[in-house]
Amino acid sequence: MINVSKLRKEFELSRQQKKELNTTATLAIAVDDLSFECQPGKVFSLLGPNGAGKTTTLRMLSTILTPTAGSIEIAGIDAIKYPQEARAKIGFLTGSTGLYARLTPIEIIDYFAALYQVPTKERDERKKYLFDLLNMNDFLQKRIGKLSTGMKQKVSICRTMIHNPEVVIFDEPTSGLDVITAENIIKLIQDCKEQGKTVIFSSHIMSEVDLLCDDLAIVHKGKLKYSGQMSDFRQNMEASNLTEEFIRIVQR
Amino acid sequence: MIFTIFKKELIDTLRDKRTMRTMLLIPLLVFPITLTLFVNISTSFEKKASEEKVKIGIWGDLGKKYENQLKKMPKGLGKMELKNFSDSSALKRAIEQGDIQLGLIIPTNEAKLEQTKTSIPLTWLFDATSIGRQERAESYMNYLADIAEKTRFKELGVDAEKLHPLVPVYQNCASHKKMIGQLAGGILPYIFIAFGFIGCMYPAIDLFTGEKERGTIETLLTTPVSRWEILVGKMLVIVTSGMLAASCALLGLFISIEFLDIVHNKEILDVVHSILTPSFIFAMFSLLFPLVVFFAGAMIPIAVYAKSFKEAQSIITPLNLVMVLPAMVGFFPGIELNAITAAIPVVNIVLSTKELISGTLSIGYYAISLGIMLLLAALSVLVSYRQFGDEARILN
Repeated sequence: MINVSKLRKEFELSRQQKKELNTTATLAIAVDDLSFECQPGKVFSLLGPNGAGKTTTLRMLSTILTPTAGSIEIAGIDAIKYPQEARAKIGFLTGSTGLYARLTPIEIIDYFAALYQVPTKERDERKKYLFDLLNMNDFLQKRIGKLSTGMKQKVSICRTMIHNPEVVIFDEPTSGLDVITAENIIKLIQDCKEQGKTVIFSSHIMSEVDLLCDDLAIVHKGKLKYSGQMSDFRQNMEASNLTEEFIRIVQR
Repeated sequence: MIFTIFKKELIDTLRDKRTMRTMLLIPLLVFPITLTLFVNISTSFEKKASEEKVKIGIWGDLGKKYENQLKKMPKGLGKMELKNFSDSSALKRAIEQGDIQLGLIIPTNEAKLEQTKTSIPLTWLFDATSIGRQERAESYMNYLADIAEKTRFKELGVDAEKLHPLVPVYQNCASHKKMIGQLAGGILPYIFIAFGFIGCMYPAIDLFTGEKERGTIETLLTTPVSRWEILVGKMLVIVTSGMLAASCALLGLFISIEFLDIVHNKEILDVVHSILTPSFIFAMFSLLFPLVVFFAGAMIPIAVYAKSFKEAQSIITPLNLVMVLPAMVGFFPGIELNAITAAIPVVNIVLSTKELISGTLSIGYYAISLGIMLLLAALSVLVSYRQFGDEARILN
């Protein structure tokens, strides 16, 4: 379960940023008074155009960034007060996540299992389950730098799921991936939902949202524009398709 | 958790060919290669110069007299061939063209000067662009002057000893160890500082800027590990790398001295062996460890601030000069470790190590030097922590 209430994030602008943005303001508001709730066993989609504040929101949920105001609860833990405890419950995957090129998949998985303090027996069981599920056994000893994008993505998925997190955060997970590789991610999100995990993912691809999500929130310029169930969204659409409806909401 | 991060980062670093080159290979090989080359080249030059047959042209009415004296010269002063010239300009030309190497001009009034027992100027011509020519001329001149002096004393019936009532006897009371410490002691800390810095540089950039560039830092920050533990784990790898690079450079220097036959003086070798005791190595590393921590602490904020490997490299490389320049103080004689120099970072390490080699290090100054460096190392760690904790810096 994720509970977000009145979330706000301000960034101090450097002299160079002020110059680039042609502004005299000292602060930029990336997220402004955002509230939503993600339920276990459901997929929540955070939608918005580029620069809407999706990544900043997800980074605050994963405690990489500290909110300026508001509250975040992850699996019953106050993520602002107890960030380390909250992180232990989270699996975080982004489309741009890099991997250590000089390590092998097995070394990376073992490293993250150790960081998440997964007991050895449980780690070995999880590894076997994930390696078989993702068909990774053929390239476990090869260095990451020598793997294809698809293989790397499988390693990233395995790294995200090794500690069997209650909450999974995906930040534009299919961005830059080909259709076949993206399919692995879609399958993972569906599996997480089936296993009763709380899933939140950000995207601007409406077909993915249509396929996967149960609840959605649309953000634009840091503000919440829409929040509700996907079924309601489809039912109450004023435009002829999902993409047009998304654009209509963002522009209104 | 710190050990988990340290272990992973160390494996990652050891698999990086660029880091391995700067951390192990170059420091280990630089001294054996450069010293072997230097010693071989200088030995071959010396040998060539001593074996070279020098052609000496003589011009002057009494040339025969000096020719005969030179012919009786000991062979140890070098091989030579004598040739008489009929005029001084032909002699000069022959030297300019390289036909002969030295010219001796005897004044036309030599007999008169000899008769009146006044000084006889002997002019030696040589080409100063050729190495060793002047030295040869000076050794021949000393030989001729010695003969002339003895002859004149005999003619005057004077006992040479009566003309030299005081004979200076200079005796050096400093031990070989102290001499080596003062004259060559500056090189050791300089090597350590230079290679310690280089050894820290690539891992620091790779483990911070590199992680930002590759996008792996974001993943690491989502794990339930505190930033403090991540920082310390990474910093330990940087410090290990710096210490390894410096140790490899010292090992290379030791191998060169011990196995490559570059030091021929047995007394010096004995002193080197007596210096390299476990307590000396421990004391030296105790001084150098906080210095390398300070290097790592100075590099991390830059590596966190930089957006790319190139940017980090362009800032850290000039920093190398700032850090290594004070280390050159060890090469200047007369600068000693005292209450003021012991409080100057880097300089205190250099002077302490120098005194450590000489065996004259005062425990008080050692404590001040160590205390200052530990304080600086702790401060640099705090600055690194603040910078690493700055979310605007850590994420590109």
